[in-house]
Amino acid sequence: MSLNYVVAMLLIALGLYCLLLKRNLIKMVIGLGVMTDGIHLFLISMGYREGGIAAIVPAGMLQDNVAAGFASAAVDPIPQALVLTSIVINICIVALALSMAIWVYHHYGTLDPSEVRRLRE
Amino acid sequence: MIEIPPIIAIVLPLFGAFLTPIIATISRRYDAERKVCGWFTVAITIAMLLTVASMGARIWGGEVIVYRLGGWSPPWGIVLAVDGLNLLIALIVAGVSSLVAIYSLVYMRRDTRIDLYCALLLLVTAGAMGITLTGDLFNLYVFFEIMSISSYALVAFRRKWDSVEAGIKYMIIGSLGTSLILLGIALLYGMVGSLTIADLAQKLGQIAPSDVVVPLALLVTGFGIKIAMIPLHAWAPDAYQAAPSSISALLAGATTTAGLYAMIRVVYMMFGAFGVGTIFAIFGLVTMVLGALMALTQRDLKRLLAYSSISQMGYILLGVGFGTALGFQGSLFHLLNNAIFKALLFMCAGAILYRVGTTNLDELGGLGKNMPITAGLFAIGALAISGVPPLNGFASKWTIYIAGIEAGKAVFSLIAIIMSVLTLAYFLKAINSIFLGQRPKRLQNVEEAPLTMLFPMMLLAVLCIVLGVLPSLGIDLVAPAQGAIMNQSGYIHAVLGGI
Amino acid sequence: MMAGMTTIVRTISRLLFPFMVLFGVYIILHGHLTPGGGFQGGVIIAASFVMLWLAYSLEQSPIEFKLFRTEVLEAIGGLTLATVGLVGLVMGMGKFFGHVLPLGILGSVFSGGDLPLLNIGVGIEVAASIILVFYAMLRKVGWDEK
Repeated sequence: MSLNYVVAMLLIALGLYCLLLKRNLIKMVIGLGVMTDGIHLFLISMGYREGGIAAIVPAGMLQDNVAAGFASAAVDPIPQALVLTSIVINICIVALALSMAIWVYHHYGTLDPSEVRRLRE
Repeated sequence: MIEIPPIIAIVLPLFGAFLTPIIATISRRYDAERKVCGWFTVAITIAMLLTVASMGARIWGGEVIVYRLGGWSPPWGIVLAVDGLNLLIALIVAGVSSLVAIYSLVYMRRDTRIDLYCALLLLVTAGAMGITLTGDLFNLYVFFEIMSISSYALVAFRRKWDSVEAGIKYMIIGSLGTSLILLGIALLYGMVGSLTIADLAQKLGQIAPSDVVVPLALLVTGFGIKIAMIPLHAWAPDAYQAAPSSISALLAGATTTAGLYAMIRVVYMMFGAFGVGTIFAIFGLVTMVLGALMALTQRDLKRLLAYSSISQMGYILLGVGFGTALGFQGSLFHLLNNAIFKALLFMCAGAILYRVGTTNLDELGGLGKNMPITAGLFAIGALAISGVPPLNGFASKWTIYIAGIEAGKAVFSLIAIIMSVLTLAYFLKAINSIFLGQRPKRLQNVEEAPLTMLFPMMLLAVLCIVLGVLPSLGIDLVAPAQGAIMNQSGYIHAVLGGI
Repeated sequence: MMAGMTTIVRTISRLLFPFMVLFGVYIILHGHLTPGGGFQGGVIIAASFVMLWLAYSLEQSPIEFKLFRTEVLEAIGGLTLATVGLVGLVMGMGKFFGHVLPLGILGSVFSGGDLPLLNIGVGIEVAASIILVFYAMLRKVGWDEK
């Protein structure tokens, strides 16, 4: 079970490395994406319960008293809702970042953020 | 009694932001797009201000307004909770955004895509209002992101090289900050299992302090990036310089205020970590000193104002870091004043840019004869920010100095006084370079700024003078907020007591 | 400006397009019963349009793209979301997002109060937004303004 957390931390570290140390705008955006994927994996793994079912009422349970049995058998759905919201937010950030990267490439021919300042003249 | 105002205050700008493209398309047929969008934005922000103000009487009577979304009670549902602290910040945010909306009516006259600008402005306002009025930690994160992403787009609005570069820098650093906040929230949820701020405040008291250090550090770092605390300030000078001046005023007044509110609420009320105060005081001191020293060497007016903003945020952190009642009072009062005079100064810089076309101190001079009103307003703002009596900056800074001496850290107060003198020095230099002295030939025919632009500036200057002459007015505004910080149990009972 | 792909890819995408849209609509409508919902279904619908643009090029795509219509759809989607919430406020005695439609039998499609309406609103908005984002990136809308 702790394998999930180790992989999540690894992803966060790798994403951080890419975001901070790469000299290419597209690679920085990819690094940001990898880092947020690590955080999402961490969040979802936290909601896991041993031997639990997915948080969807299966067809077989509809007849009985749903609430009591379901709540104890399902995994925690709140982290999944948090992760969904966070994925949507990250789409917006990535779209905005890529638009700016395309603008920089179109007008300056390079994707290196440190070059842009020198090319303004 | 159903408490409607908090949700209306958030939904109004959101609704407006969705309506703006439709209104723009319809008014484009009648060729009145610019006016209609501009006035629509002004109407929505003023309506929001009135909604927030209507809650004032009840909150200052000591009540905490709690609104449950969808009828679900906390800790299972999302709740909006407004107490004294929230109301002060909400008033600041609503006031600054309505004044910026009025200012933008004229300032953005030469830009295209005004419908995008208005929609984004309303989204930033909705995000900032959501941050101040919510009582749920994840809701805070979502609104924080809404505010941040819209401000990235607004900083890069004029698609020139410096705007886009500043926008990219701001975006990369800002997204890193919000990812750290998400990680902190994830850790907190794993420890406690709840996301409502009041509930967390209760449950975190039972966990050993050594476990909460990591989420606390992550959250402080994330919010610190937003308020440009040293050493996380790298995005601020470029972003303030390259953004349109109305957006710089909005950033300095509204988003920084909302970020600081989030920091205070999370650290002091949720974690109850009054011991973190010393770290805040040290960071505040470093921020104040470095901001002032960097501002001394700037040749561009907006960059100078950006570093000065960073420096003022240092004062507020210093006051918060003292941890005493007087310290909170001083820093909250200074937060209010900072929003007022920073917005005023950025609007003056915008007026100069609009009429002259540059804000480089080397190229300006002698504009005092052409733009007397702007010069006077800028002088009022500059004297206020330096803490000269009888303007409002003096009252709040004096409170912070006394709080420092009271808390036994007289050295901090001494350094703060020296930095105030430095602030006065670089502002006098700026006034001298822009308004006095020799006027270059090509600036002969510069006119005064338009009246619609001058109106919000004059309103802010009047507020500076009024709050300075009658500081008790300011203290009355701030006292409920400061009381709310020291008295968390009232807030917790009001939010959770409904179960 | 942008090259299309080979005949095989073009034929298959043209054949698959209506099924993809149908699948996206299914995911939106059953959001309260199965995994999915407004956002996921909206992205699938948008992806089907983008698939057509990539297979053919933007100019020769068999589905004609009207910018105005998409922008209005996006605004309508967002307004639906806010309006449903406000109607809950007004009619449901002051609860934003309070249920207006009846909660039906657990497990049928016409149940869950407001949720299917919210899902549809979100789905329309997300599909329109992502199509607009891709269109703006491909067409470089409004770039050479100063």
